[in-house]
Amino acid sequence: MKQSKFNKIRMRETLISYAFLAPALFFFCIFVLLPMIMGVVTSLFRYNMKGMTFIGLDNYVNMFKDEVWQKSLVNTLILVVGSVPITVLFALFVAAMTYEKNPFTRSFFRCVFFLPVVTGTVAVTVVWKWIYDPLNGILNWLLKSMNIIEKNIMWTGDKKFALWAILIILITTSVGQPIILYIASLGNVPKDYVEAAQVDGANDLQVFWQIKWPSLLPTTLYIVVITTINSFQCFSLIQLLTSGGPNYRTTTIMYYLYENAFKRFEYGYANAMGVVLALMIGLISFIQFKALGSDVEY
Amino acid sequence: MKKKTGILDIISMAFLLILSFIFIFPFYWILTGAFKSQKVTVKLPPEWFPLSPTMENFHKLMQNPALQWLWNSVFICGITMLIVCVVSSMAGYVLAKKRFYGQATLFSIFVFAMALPKQVILVPLMKLVSFMGIHDTSWAIILPLCGWPFGVFLMKQFSENIPTELLEAAKIDGSGEVRTFSSIVMPIVKPGFGALAIFTFINTWNDYFMQLVMLNSRAKLTISLGVATLQQEFSTNYGVIMAGAAMAAVPIVAVFLMFQNYFTQGITMGAVKG
Amino acid sequence: MKKILSLGLAAALMATTLAGCGGSGGSETTAAPAADTGTTAAAGEAATTAGGSDAAAPAGAVEITWWAFPTYAQDADKPAGTYEAEIIAAFEAKNPDIKVNLETIDFTSGPEKITAAIEAGTVCDVLFDAPGRIISYAQNGKLVKLDDMFTDEFVKDVNNEALLNSCKSDDGSYYMYPISTAAFCMAVSKQALEAADAMSCINMEGDRTWTTAQFEEMLKKLNAAGFNGATVYCSGQGGDQGIRAFVTNIYDSQVTNDEVTEYTLNDEGGIKALTKIKEWVDAGYMLNGSAYNGGEDVDQFVAGNTAFTTLWSPGLASQRAETLTQNEIEAIALPFPSDDGVPELEYLVNGFCVFDNGDAAKAEASKKFIDFMCNDEEWGPKDVVRTSVFPVRQSMGDLYPGDEEMGFYASLTKYYSPYYNTIKGFAEMRTYWFPMLQAVLNGDSTPEDAVNDFVTKANQSIANAQ
Repeated sequence: MKQSKFNKIRMRETLISYAFLAPALFFFCIFVLLPMIMGVVTSLFRYNMKGMTFIGLDNYVNMFKDEVWQKSLVNTLILVVGSVPITVLFALFVAAMTYEKNPFTRSFFRCVFFLPVVTGTVAVTVVWKWIYDPLNGILNWLLKSMNIIEKNIMWTGDKKFALWAILIILITTSVGQPIILYIASLGNVPKDYVEAAQVDGANDLQVFWQIKWPSLLPTTLYIVVITTINSFQCFSLIQLLTSGGPNYRTTTIMYYLYENAFKRFEYGYANAMGVVLALMIGLISFIQFKALGSDVEY
Repeated sequence: MKKKTGILDIISMAFLLILSFIFIFPFYWILTGAFKSQKVTVKLPPEWFPLSPTMENFHKLMQNPALQWLWNSVFICGITMLIVCVVSSMAGYVLAKKRFYGQATLFSIFVFAMALPKQVILVPLMKLVSFMGIHDTSWAIILPLCGWPFGVFLMKQFSENIPTELLEAAKIDGSGEVRTFSSIVMPIVKPGFGALAIFTFINTWNDYFMQLVMLNSRAKLTISLGVATLQQEFSTNYGVIMAGAAMAAVPIVAVFLMFQNYFTQGITMGAVKG
Repeated sequence: MKKILSLGLAAALMATTLAGCGGSGGSETTAAPAADTGTTAAAGEAATTAGGSDAAAPAGAVEITWWAFPTYAQDADKPAGTYEAEIIAAFEAKNPDIKVNLETIDFTSGPEKITAAIEAGTVCDVLFDAPGRIISYAQNGKLVKLDDMFTDEFVKDVNNEALLNSCKSDDGSYYMYPISTAAFCMAVSKQALEAADAMSCINMEGDRTWTTAQFEEMLKKLNAAGFNGATVYCSGQGGDQGIRAFVTNIYDSQVTNDEVTEYTLNDEGGIKALTKIKEWVDAGYMLNGSAYNGGEDVDQFVAGNTAFTTLWSPGLASQRAETLTQNEIEAIALPFPSDDGVPELEYLVNGFCVFDNGDAAKAEASKKFIDFMCNDEEWGPKDVVRTSVFPVRQSMGDLYPGDEEMGFYASLTKYYSPYYNTIKGFAEMRTYWFPMLQAVLNGDSTPEDAVNDFVTKANQSIANAQ
């Protein structure tokens, strides 16, 4: 009796809930879920301008054998591994330097470091392209006039520098959000703990590692997640600056996917890459969200 | 709290200022470059400030449908923002406050999809959009972006703040679901609304990838895509490109500066206590 | 608002489902009829509002869309599309029942835009481009046959089998209607050469042909005088035909065999050429161009940063004339140097194709428009001159009387090499070309390994496209 009444209420709630969810689900199903399914299905086809032929898992098999894909995977991982720690440390440094300042200074710095994000990749890249230009660029000019280098360096075309050149822009366009997050969560660290520790004679470093750092952990994990996802998606910088060169040194999975879809017209193959990329990101975020979830319910 | 200023602090502060300079530089360079003549923009050593400012670049820019591009961007971002806000606040509220069948599954799907880069569904999405006959229109960008579940997630976070007692009291008073939503829920999640609005606006403005794939016609481009096109057409003329970049960046930076508190709040709420 | 939208969407979806989710043929036709039915008016209207630029066409008029790469030169300071608009106005005046909408596209993102639009079913009717891409669209069944435009009179007038063949797909039908042609060549800066005392290295007589030895001499002198050589540009595929011709010429190699069935760049000459180029780059005679594409290399040349460029054509000469004058540089066009002094040049053919959008009336109107642009008594020759190259119709005669420089360019037609841009998988091959050069220049692999690898992949691309 009681059970059935409960179920009835729950049923009613469910109906109402789905009514509220309907618009969101409508957009989600049509524009996210449906393409996702279409992507998975077409990844099993040789699918190009001419039509579709079912080839089972061949696209996947070819992908893992494809040297360029392997290179792009490595590049993407380098970008992820490179950007995550630098972003975290950088953001932590800026936040630690500014969170105790007066509100005006704090919001000034927040804006400054968020500026490249807001300005937009396209506009920012216009300037970076000029900074890196081997012949007319300011970077070579600066280094030459300071006698650090003698010959012009081809930043985006040199195998030693190209990926790092991209990485630097990637970091400047993604560190804004972590800084905001750290400033917020540093502000949430209970003041009494810090003061108590100081009274006990702890130095700044000890205060930081023993009191502040533990309470920053959830934020840090979240930042790691978003920076990872963000770096996995690195595309427009590559498209606008290097076209994946030199010799595939800056080709990311995302760019290679685009190249396959729009330069080689291999849609099925591109979709297979999309599926694998989604799985990788899904797996990584799943692990990280799990870690985050268990830490956060304090 | 006593604080002694040591050497380390001074060094750190100096470092911070240098970093700030690097971060401001691109924006500064776009702004000033827009007013430099073609020759000056590629001059070395660079002219740090336009000594003889010129409007020439803007005249050249205006020979392209730049204002139309700007309007397209505003239109796309505005409509996306509206739809996302309405749709997400409704969904976020029930996800946070109701108990219903399939809730946990649904939420996990949303979270998973949020992590998914939209680029991976690029080709099917394009096919779909063209089936609907809206490829190469603003709707080809607006509608897919409305499906992105970040907004739902963010609004769920904000809705967690709604005191359950308040909702129960409303129910006892016999208030209908719609009225409860509009008179109790909405006022409480209003800050979230602001945060989501500004967040969506900025992200849509700068979503180069979607625009690149979905738009073809010159008259239908957005301002960022327009600038990227200019960059390819006028590779020799930095001045015009800078003028275009300025046109793409200034409005959005202005919006950001005006609403930055909402924005900060949005980012923080979307993250902590996940 | 939302309600209307959802309705429209739902209706559009329905239409989609009804049309069947089958082949791509369906996609092109669904959009149009859906907009006519009452239920989907909302979606249609929404789309129009979003664009906001559709001018009303006279009743019963056929509306076609023309996408143009910046091939026609514009008057000084006029934006892309100005001259094209003049043609359209003239055409519409004579054919009031046809309305032409113009879209200008650029060479960097244009090709991808076309691909996207083909997939999305929103591609144009008329495209102004070159055989490389056009024939690949034809091979994929996206184009309308133009055989009826190749009248006996026209074929006789062109009188150039190689050129006509470049307009055919492998089914033997014509898909591109050519208007003008010219050879790609290179250019040197007279000022730089004079300052480096290197004018003696080049040949200004006759067809200006010269040898690789002379070229190397010029490199050395330029370097000694502190000038930068050209970039061996390879950051992307833009303008790659120029550097490819440079590579093949210096030691008399060929990109493909004469029958254009197989890539042969890995012959002795090709390997030797790449080895030599690597040497030149290492010695600082030429610049590693991994950060530049063809257009950017030309930018550096006209800005005076480099003393020569391997990407030049009469069209480029006229487009960049203003900048050259500003920077006080006089560009001398030259054929590519070669070991035996006889160059083999790649050439461009400008022409039009018609996309099959499933509407016979549009296809007819498109052909009419193309015919007007190429064969109208007034506009035909005028259009050719705007492409800054030479008419494919011999009967048009010399359109540049008294112009010595153009006379030189015209003389290069006798050095045309086999045209391989219509080879199957051409587009895919181009994606392997620039990484190959980058691999050589950056020392990732030996020239021999790199070019062998390139030829293997390129030959594979022919097979892939079957």
